[in-house]
Amino acid sequence: MFSERERERYKRQMILFGDEGQERLKKAHIFIAGAGGLGSPVSLYLAVAGVGTITIVDMDVVDQTNLNRQILHFDRDIGRKKTTSAKEKLREINPDITVHAIDVKIDETNAADLVGKADGIVDAMDNYPTRYLLNDLAIAKQIPFFHGGIRGFYGQATTIIPGTTPCLKCIFPKAPPKEVFPVVGVTPGIIGTVQANEVLKYVLGIGELLTGRLFIWDGMQAHAEEICMERNPYCEACGGVAKKTTAGKKK
Amino acid sequence: MTVKIRFFARFRELLGTDIMSDVVAGTMFTSLITTIAKKNPEGYTAIFNEKGAFHEFVILMKNGKRIDIADAAKTPVADGDEIAVFPPVAGG
Repeated sequence: MFSERERERYKRQMILFGDEGQERLKKAHIFIAGAGGLGSPVSLYLAVAGVGTITIVDMDVVDQTNLNRQILHFDRDIGRKKTTSAKEKLREINPDITVHAIDVKIDETNAADLVGKADGIVDAMDNYPTRYLLNDLAIAKQIPFFHGGIRGFYGQATTIIPGTTPCLKCIFPKAPPKEVFPVVGVTPGIIGTVQANEVLKYVLGIGELLTGRLFIWDGMQAHAEEICMERNPYCEACGGVAKKTTAGKKK
Repeated sequence: MTVKIRFFARFRELLGTDIMSDVVAGTMFTSLITTIAKKNPEGYTAIFNEKGAFHEFVILMKNGKRIDIADAAKTPVADGDEIAVFPPVAGG
């Protein structure tokens, strides 16, 4: 059931997917790992679309150097916890959803509890060790993992359905070295929006997901392309995982 | 014979992309990429380690199929092949 305010808020998208689709979004719970460059557009677009419950996790404080890209956070937020800032903005942009903002470092001791019964995990991290941890968790819980990564004007994204598609370890078995990566805000804007688009399609059970395909964006050339990816039967993360009821969200 | 080499992300910044390379029959994947990467020392060190082997995180593909780093030195390239070399992009 929707309030009159919700009906007005979502009017233009309910033309696309009706009450049933909007109800699916309202019932959905999405876990966003990171409230930074990718987490900002992902969370904002999922919030305005009406994803009913958003859990967003980050351990950092807003720094001035974040503000060229992390559009959840404003100049006045410098020095505040990113989770505090994120919760405030997401509630302001849509007071009809529930936002859990958790200030903690995601690690192997807490990841499973943090994700809880979420319907999907969005990778908005900036490092591969945590991405691999979330990848393992998505496989264990049999929920989708929406990967994104950026550097400079380049970005990549893919949607991982455990047991069906290649997992993150199939695609990238080894982590690259850590670095202070260069970035301009439009790149996470583009990739984060692709990830949010994937989440919406998954929840709504419409369209073709970015599965088995690595979406690659080259902002310098304004060129997007995709590379087909296959499962690695010997993958240490998902090699033994059989196909399950992964189309559960499909209509 | 001609092979097309496509670099992505950081590798593309350093070495360009869509490089058409004339190679002799029997040229192996690793030796082809080594030759091209050496045109820019920074590009070379981005892709190869000090022993001249691919960094373990580098992804190699030939005509859309994954090539294991361990097999690249003995994988020949053929006329018309399209090769892709790219790193995982880590920022978020």
